[in-house]
Amino acid sequence: MKSGQSVMPSSLSTQSLTSLPLSTKLNLEIQRAASRCLFVFFGPLMHLLFHVKFKYQVDNLKELRKQYKDLLKEAKGPVLVCTNHLTLIDSIIQGVILSSIPNYLLHFRRLPWNLPEKKNFYHKLHWRMVCYLGKCIPVTRKASPKQAKESTDKMLYILNRGDLISIFPEGKRSRTGIVDDEDFSYGTGQLLKSLPNTKVLCIYMRGIKNGGFANFPSKGERFHLSMKMTTPTSELKGLRKVRDLSIQVISEIKKMEEEYFEHEVSSRK
Amino acid sequence: MNETEIYEKVVGLIKPYAKNTESLSTLTQESKILEDLGVNSARLVDIVLAFEDEFDIEVEDEAADEIWTIGDAVKLINTKLN
Repeated sequence: MKSGQSVMPSSLSTQSLTSLPLSTKLNLEIQRAASRCLFVFFGPLMHLLFHVKFKYQVDNLKELRKQYKDLLKEAKGPVLVCTNHLTLIDSIIQGVILSSIPNYLLHFRRLPWNLPEKKNFYHKLHWRMVCYLGKCIPVTRKASPKQAKESTDKMLYILNRGDLISIFPEGKRSRTGIVDDEDFSYGTGQLLKSLPNTKVLCIYMRGIKNGGFANFPSKGERFHLSMKMTTPTSELKGLRKVRDLSIQVISEIKKMEEEYFEHEVSSRK
Repeated sequence: MNETEIYEKVVGLIKPYAKNTESLSTLTQESKILEDLGVNSARLVDIVLAFEDEFDIEVEDEAADEIWTIGDAVKLINTKLN
């Protein structure tokens, strides 16, 4: 489930893709079932590491979990979770914050799939296992159109079956510590164009004490998280639509960041 | 517009997006836009849209997928224009 610079396929083609082979669908279902069965063990482990070993804390945890549950209940159709990206373990932190273990066990779709870059996490067996059980689909940066099509097909299948996918619209961790709304990926727009009725749950998350770019948040960090459900739409066509949809998502997250800093500044006065 | 003119315009449009600036001095038709010039896939979308605006053409998504080198872009634009 560890993310780290999750990327989107690099194909520019945005045709709706539905030709996922049966064997691939079966593999994804097996992965999902295995992940669900073993979540009984690795779910508590993640929560223990989060709360006990790293002593992380979260502002308004109960309210956030209720908001997440309510927003997903209201949303009909596919939901894409789009979050700003600052540390290597953003997906894990987000996963621990958004729902309790019993809730994930009851509603396993609420644990989003992740898209880690293959070369970062698939070279060692134990990481492959973690990624497999953490509902991850490896993707390759600068993939060939064929590889990109395969990854996109998988994502569309997952979204269509009702599961959530978590991506980082920036396409990389922000080195400046703030949302990069200039040099960001258009992968979000590619997915949204292929699946027009998809809702986007925009999430802004950062450590309050030492938030910013880092491999790992510092021990004892306290996290802020805010979320907003949106439905990006665009009248444009082709690649212009892809770009427009991507801009809408990144702009929303940027706005949430500005609201966070405005609130931080006003609360210090 | 001949191929040389298209090539020069294409290079001019790609340059602002190239992260690997050293490779700009040794550009050829075979230069790979993503690998050699260090352009990422999102910026490649921007470049293709810049081609559309500059040459007043429409590049289909599938055709855009076939643009790997500067030569691919020149060939595609040349075909569209002529």
